[in-house]
Order: sequence, then structure tokens, then C-alpha cells
Amino acid sequence: MSAILELNGVSKEFAVNGRRTKAVDNVSFAVEKGECLAIVGESGSGKSTIANMILGIYGTTAGTIAFAGEPLPERREKRHRRAIQLVQQNPLSSLNPRRTVGASLRLALDVHEIGPKAERAARIGALLQEVGLEPDYARRSPAALSGGQRQRVAIARALACESELVVLDEPTSALDVLVQARVLRLLAELKAKRGLTYVFITHDLSVVRNIADRVAVFERGRLIEIGTTEALFSSPTQDYTRRLISAVPVVSDEEAAMRQHIMGDQA
Amino acid sequence: MSAPTLKIENLKLGFKLWSGMVEVLHGISLHIGKGERVALVGESGSGKSVTARIVLGMLQEISTARISGSLNFEGIDLDKLKPRDRHHLRGTRMSMIFQDPTSSLNPVYPIFTQFREVLARANPAIGEAEARMKAIAALADVSINEPERVLDSYAFQLSGGMNQRVMIAMALANNPSLLLADEPGTALDVTVQAQTLKLMSDLVEQHGTSVLFISHNLGVVREFADRVYVIYKGRIVEQATTKQLFSDPQHPYTRALLSAVPRITGGGIPDIAEDTAGFLDPLIAHPGASEKERLA
Repeated sequence: MSAILELNGVSKEFAVNGRRTKAVDNVSFAVEKGECLAIVGESGSGKSTIANMILGIYGTTAGTIAFAGEPLPERREKRHRRAIQLVQQNPLSSLNPRRTVGASLRLALDVHEIGPKAERAARIGALLQEVGLEPDYARRSPAALSGGQRQRVAIARALACESELVVLDEPTSALDVLVQARVLRLLAELKAKRGLTYVFITHDLSVVRNIADRVAVFERGRLIEIGTTEALFSSPTQDYTRRLISAVPVVSDEEAAMRQHIMGDQA
Repeated sequence: MSAPTLKIENLKLGFKLWSGMVEVLHGISLHIGKGERVALVGESGSGKSVTARIVLGMLQEISTARISGSLNFEGIDLDKLKPRDRHHLRGTRMSMIFQDPTSSLNPVYPIFTQFREVLARANPAIGEAEARMKAIAALADVSINEPERVLDSYAFQLSGGMNQRVMIAMALANNPSLLLADEPGTALDVTVQAQTLKLMSDLVEQHGTSVLFISHNLGVVREFADRVYVIYKGRIVEQATTKQLFSDPQHPYTRALLSAVPRITGGGIPDIAEDTAGFLDPLIAHPGASEKERLA
């Protein structure tokens, strides 16, 4: 196994009201190629700050981030921007409302010069089909799509430039549960088919349980626990992780029993 | 048996738009007994929030809304009330909690000013000192440690969970008989959501308040409600006690919803068929949970 992404001693400080606040505090972890690493934590735990540093939107205050074995510069090169892409929580605000779906995808292809120009229109159709939409959706505007369809377009855009690592920031939190299940399935299929690597940021542990290979738990900017999904859910080592798991609202007696069991271990 | 706290019969709602009528509710009936916690669960656009707004009388003020059906609150026909009397019910006999606590509170007034307004709805002559005392007691009830400090704070100085507790305290301050809670935990972190719901649950039990709990989250409903109505595209499709619904869901829509929830015990991402046939099947009421049986 080789690490596609490596964070080494990464910190990020912000100045808030003249005081310096550590949003991310000395965090190190690696993401293996082809895995889905979930980053979980409550609001203020630093999970979105980490996403923004991986993407190069924020620089780091200390520490280094390496991609495919080479350290990423503060100012990213185009090839880095192509390889690391983002899917955000709310596709209504991440897609330009003035652009048709086709134009949004086209922009990604043009900027990164993917394939010969003449073939790009066909590529857009193929991308849409890959995310489960008809090719003629290219003519529609985001406003004419449902929430689930919009998120599919946002996923297609992240894949358009043949990205290798996709940062998924709460990609299904704004969706209804039936739609969420379909979008999650699509993400799992695409990952297998394209050999993608995911950094999946979410607060929803029941989603994490079913999609992630490994989980990193953050509390107030610090990485407090990291492990395989199986191990983390069956025997969490930190109280904070236990509290997170036991607070998840569940729909079956079997799940309620498991929560009970996890809290029971603490006593 | 005394009248239920809330009884809605054959409620229909449409909006008149330039392109014609858009039907939102197709005749829903539900009721909440005294002290009962009833959930209305459905996806976005199913009509759950508009139902609460109609009960409060807020939607009636929109000129394009076309509403029919009957609303009965503690034996009073709400539609026969004068607007003034209906207005008087809000914030006193019935109150509401919204999803986003930080935007439900006014950012330019400290919490106390807003709290006093709420208390003054029930007792317009309430004085500064008395209001302060009552507010402090109410905040202590929702486990706020420093009620004095919170009262002098603005909403943006408090956390989301703290604001939601302030909202709960305000909503229950005048001891309403009906609380409408529209996704009260959705904007909060899971651990805070769990605490908030537990607190709300304990308080409504102490006060004997009836609750209409609106949510899209089946897990939260399972933990909070005594009884559940499932709503799909403006129709109630299944009604049951919470236990019945989760152990033996019957309607195709409810089954699809439940099977779509990822489980914390694992099992992979559920495979949901695109097939929505059957979602519009007629209402299924579990034994002993139909309107007729409950209201007999």
C-alpha cells in the first residue's frame, strides 16, 4: 500500500478578535490510495479546516502535506488542483446558477485540457451517464434539478478532470434519506470503478460505518483516534468517540443494543 | 374522554399560482391526545412543516394559500375564533420551536428582552423583576448553568445548543398545552441533539405538554415520540405507535424509508430501488392506532 496523501504535523491558526486560535493542532495521518478515510467530529473540531488545507484553499501554519510522495507547495500547481477535487454539502451553492450543467462540466474539462476539444461534448454526456443522469441534462440549469440530481452533477464535475483524490464535505447531509442512500451507492461504485481515494468529512456516524474503510476522529482540532471502521465501532478507545457513537439516533433495537454495549464498556 | 389537545380533520392546502393550483396537502387527519408526543415524519416537501404553520395560523396570512378542513384545539374550532383570540393563543396556549435556533432569536436584542416579551404575552402587566425571576427559573429548568449571564447575552454570543435550550425555555415558559417542534435538533451536533431532545422530553413530561414533533429523521422520532404519522406528498400513509411502526412497518413508503437509513451496526449502503409504485397506496393504520379507534 502506498499513501496518496500524507499530513505531517499540520497545524492551522486563525486570529479571532486579536487572539490566535488553533483550529487544527499538530495533526498527522496518511490516506492510502484507493481507500475512503472518514473524518468525523462535531462542529468546531477542525474537520472543514483540514479539508481546506488538503485542497490548498488555506495554507498551513505549520507542518507539511504531501501528495503522491511529493510535498505540496503553498501555492498549488494546476496538476495538483486537477488531482484533488471537492464535492461540497450544498450543490445549490456550489454550482453556478447561471451556467447550464453542461457548461459547468465543460469548464472543468477546458481548464484542465482534458481530451481533444472535439471530444469534450461527448465526454460531458458520458460523465452525466456515469453519475446516473441522462446526457441531455447538460442543457438544464441547476435550478431545474432536484437536490439529488444536483449533487450528482457536482460529483460529475469533481470527476471530470480525472481527479485522483476527492474531498467529500458532508456530501449527503442536505439530502433526504432515500436520495442519500442512492448518492452514497453511486459514490461507492465510482470509487471502485475509477480507483478513487476519498476523504469523507461528515458528522453522520451511521453513514461512516457503511462507507468508510478507516475513520479519524477529531476533537477541538486534535486527532484523537484513528483506526479501521470495524475496530473503531466495535471497540472505540476514547470516551469522546464512545459519546459520539452513543448519541447517534437509531432505528432498530439491534442498533440500540450496540450503543448500549459501547457505553457499557465505559463503566 | 376529554377532547384531544389537537384534532385535524381532512386538512387540505393548495397554493394558487399564476400557473394554476399546486396541491400541497390532500386531506390529512391527525390528532394529539393530552400529554402525547406525536411525530409527523416525512421527506422535504411532504407537507410536514406547513401542517404546523396552519395549526399556528401563520399560513392563513398568505394570500395565495387555500386551506380547508377543520382544526380543533382543546375542543375549540380554531376557524371560528376571531383573529384576535387566535392571535392570543400563540405563545401562550400553543408555541413553536424551529429548526435553526440562532436565526429564530432576534440578534439585536439580548435574550432577556425577548424572554420578557414571551412572558408578557400571558401576563402583559409583568414587571421587570418578576420577568427576570421567571426567566431565570425557566432557563435553570433547561439545565443552563449561568442563567443570569445568558439573559444578558445576545443570541450570537451563545452556542447553537445553548440557543436551542433558550428557545425551549421560552416555548414552555407560559406552560402551553401544545408545543409544535419543527426539526428541533437538526441544526445541532449529534451529542448536543441527544441532550436537547432528552431535556425536551423530560420537560414536556413534567408539564404534561402535548407535542407535535416534526422531523425527517426516523432515529430521532423513534427516540422521542409515542406515536407516529408518516406523511408522503401531502398524504398520511401510515400511522402507528412508535413501537408498532419500527418493529413492523407496513406501508411500502415507510418500508423504503426505513430500509434507506444506514445502520450503525453496518451492513453496507442500502440498495434502494427507483421504484416508487406503492408509495401512494392508501393509508395503513396499525391496530388500535387509527383515528376512529383513538378518538372513540
